[in-house]
Amino acid sequence: MSDATPPDLRRRLDRVLQPRTIAVVGDKGARDYLWLKSMKPFRGTLYSVQLDEREIPGIEALGVPNYTSLAAIPEPIDYVVCAAPREVTPRIVQDCIDANAGGVALFTSGFTELGDETGIELEAELVKMAHGAGLPLIGPNCMGLHIPALGVRFSPEQPTAEGGDVGFISQSGTHGLNFSLVGAVHGIYCSKMISFGNGAVLEAADYLDYLADDPATTVIAMYIEGVRDGERFARTLRAVAARKPVVIWKGGQTEVGQRATQSHTASLTTSQRVWSALVKQAGAISADNLDELIDVVKTLRMTKPPPGRRVALVAMTGGQSVVIADAFVKAGLEVPLLSDASYAEFSEFVSVIGGSYKNPLDLFNTMLYDPGAIERVLAILDRDPVIDSIVFELSAYLLVRRWEKQPAQFEALLDTLQRFNAHSAKPLVTIIYPAHVEAKVLELRAQLQARGVATFPTFERAAAALAKITEYHVTHT
Amino acid sequence: MTSAMLASLRASGRRLLNEVESKAVLAEAGIPVTPTRLARSRDEALELARSLGFPAALKVVAEAITHKSDIGGVRLNLPDEESVGAAFDEIQAAARRAHPDAPIDGVSVQPMAQPGVEVMIGLARDPQFGPVLMFGLGGVLVEVLQDVAVRLAPLESRDAEAMIREIQGFPVLQGYRGTPPVDLSALQSILLALSGFALEHPEVSELDLNPVIATAAGATAVDARIVLS
Repeated sequence: MSDATPPDLRRRLDRVLQPRTIAVVGDKGARDYLWLKSMKPFRGTLYSVQLDEREIPGIEALGVPNYTSLAAIPEPIDYVVCAAPREVTPRIVQDCIDANAGGVALFTSGFTELGDETGIELEAELVKMAHGAGLPLIGPNCMGLHIPALGVRFSPEQPTAEGGDVGFISQSGTHGLNFSLVGAVHGIYCSKMISFGNGAVLEAADYLDYLADDPATTVIAMYIEGVRDGERFARTLRAVAARKPVVIWKGGQTEVGQRATQSHTASLTTSQRVWSALVKQAGAISADNLDELIDVVKTLRMTKPPPGRRVALVAMTGGQSVVIADAFVKAGLEVPLLSDASYAEFSEFVSVIGGSYKNPLDLFNTMLYDPGAIERVLAILDRDPVIDSIVFELSAYLLVRRWEKQPAQFEALLDTLQRFNAHSAKPLVTIIYPAHVEAKVLELRAQLQARGVATFPTFERAAAALAKITEYHVTHT
Repeated sequence: MTSAMLASLRASGRRLLNEVESKAVLAEAGIPVTPTRLARSRDEALELARSLGFPAALKVVAEAITHKSDIGGVRLNLPDEESVGAAFDEIQAAARRAHPDAPIDGVSVQPMAQPGVEVMIGLARDPQFGPVLMFGLGGVLVEVLQDVAVRLAPLESRDAEAMIREIQGFPVLQGYRGTPPVDLSALQSILLALSGFALEHPEVSELDLNPVIATAAGATAVDARIVLS
């Protein structure tokens, strides 16, 4: 049996995930109108539903038309956010069904995650209603959707941007928020982000399946703590990861109780090991924290696919050339000797006094006195058939000094890297390190990023990200 | 039929299959095991050793005794009838000493496997993801070192290959100090067969092949344990 999203659910998700109308039910001054303020840049029409007369003036002061029921709104609503107390959620879900709303996200919490009898019963009731009517219900206990291109947000801090291409599925609102905020700093924007909380009706597999077919999504990232139907999730992940890169940040140890075991095998197959097996087997990419998730997504988006594990490492000084090699070898990549032809070319212009051009290359003198040399170095590595990826250390110290003292040379360097990155078939990864002048380094990083060049704050982070996407591409070709 | 054998054992209320029963089930499923029979008496042990071949290995068979070698319940490399007879008596005595009240089914008799590298292959059921296969180096250190690779069933052959190569101890399988590399494809075949077995027999909740002896010419499970749900 296929796990593909049924056409009907796909059509419904299409509507809710590309909303033209949004209604927020139950927003209030006590939370500073989080929802209505977050949705301010929404491209479509935003409505409020609030019965409480004390709240209505504040809502209208925001310029949002308020109604006292969903049914009273004069047009169909594609996406409803419910921020009302849990006791009234069944009524609001019924209103969504009656008003033929596209779908609803329940910001409301206090259900199975709280675990009291009322919460459990209420969630069961919502599930029954949503299933009965085929209503896409996101959550409860979630932040719902963030679609930067449409100005759909769940925090006023979140970016709006055209052209986001990362689909993000998150069991946690905070990690979703952080991904959108930190991601934006790295030039990463979502096509669609879904924070789905308890996942009572639709769960990770549903969203995964949807994003696999979403033309706006080229990379899928997710934060997940656990799944309800493990075997379905495993099948879906396998199918989706074969089509698009999927990066998974797994939170929590999820030891499902202490299992009584009678075999060595059962005692050794911990749920942590099983998850990691699942990710590997499906051909997805694992990430252990937000930084790693962003590093991997960034590398997937910004670099060309590495055809193999062999990297050329270019450092500006001897000490860095040693430790950059350590970092990349430890991450599982190979640092081979270059081909004879490359060495012959290097010998024509590289100063070996205070430098070296084996691999790693230490080009301090060469690059310091001959800025055009970088272009030649890159061209040689580009031609060398034993090299799959190129890693470039940009010493923060030297770079900042050049930026301040020789801005034209500095611009030329950035231009060179940008040109190379755009034209070469080989991935280029840069590292600006260390950051003793952190504010300046941040600016440099932003400049490189704006030019489409992937840059990292440490060798280890660059190495881990490149190693992960290399493994991904090598096993998917 | 494997199913019939499992069904009748299960119908009798048994959850833990002993070595002899486990191997019979596995042999039917196409997994290579050393031919192993149960001896209830000294004479039976001698008879079986003669027909299965020397050198022989004898092990206690008793549901209560999980770690057989810890209590002196295993005798290996028995070259002749005299040593088999003595081993039978010693195992019986050791088992009674260790577990005075536990019923002892008998002693298993099997020919010694060719020397090779000991690995462990197993099956468990994850409460969320279902059948899980495990591979690691065998012997007593597996639980201490935790050097194991895990995959979900169904396995594809590249999964089986990857899990064998994933363990830290993989160089041991590639040959060291003059020993030849072991037959990796034989290990892969066992993993794949076990993956199929796991899907066909949801009633099997846990299974250890520990150890499997891997040599340059193949791989054979010399001990096995099946737990039914």
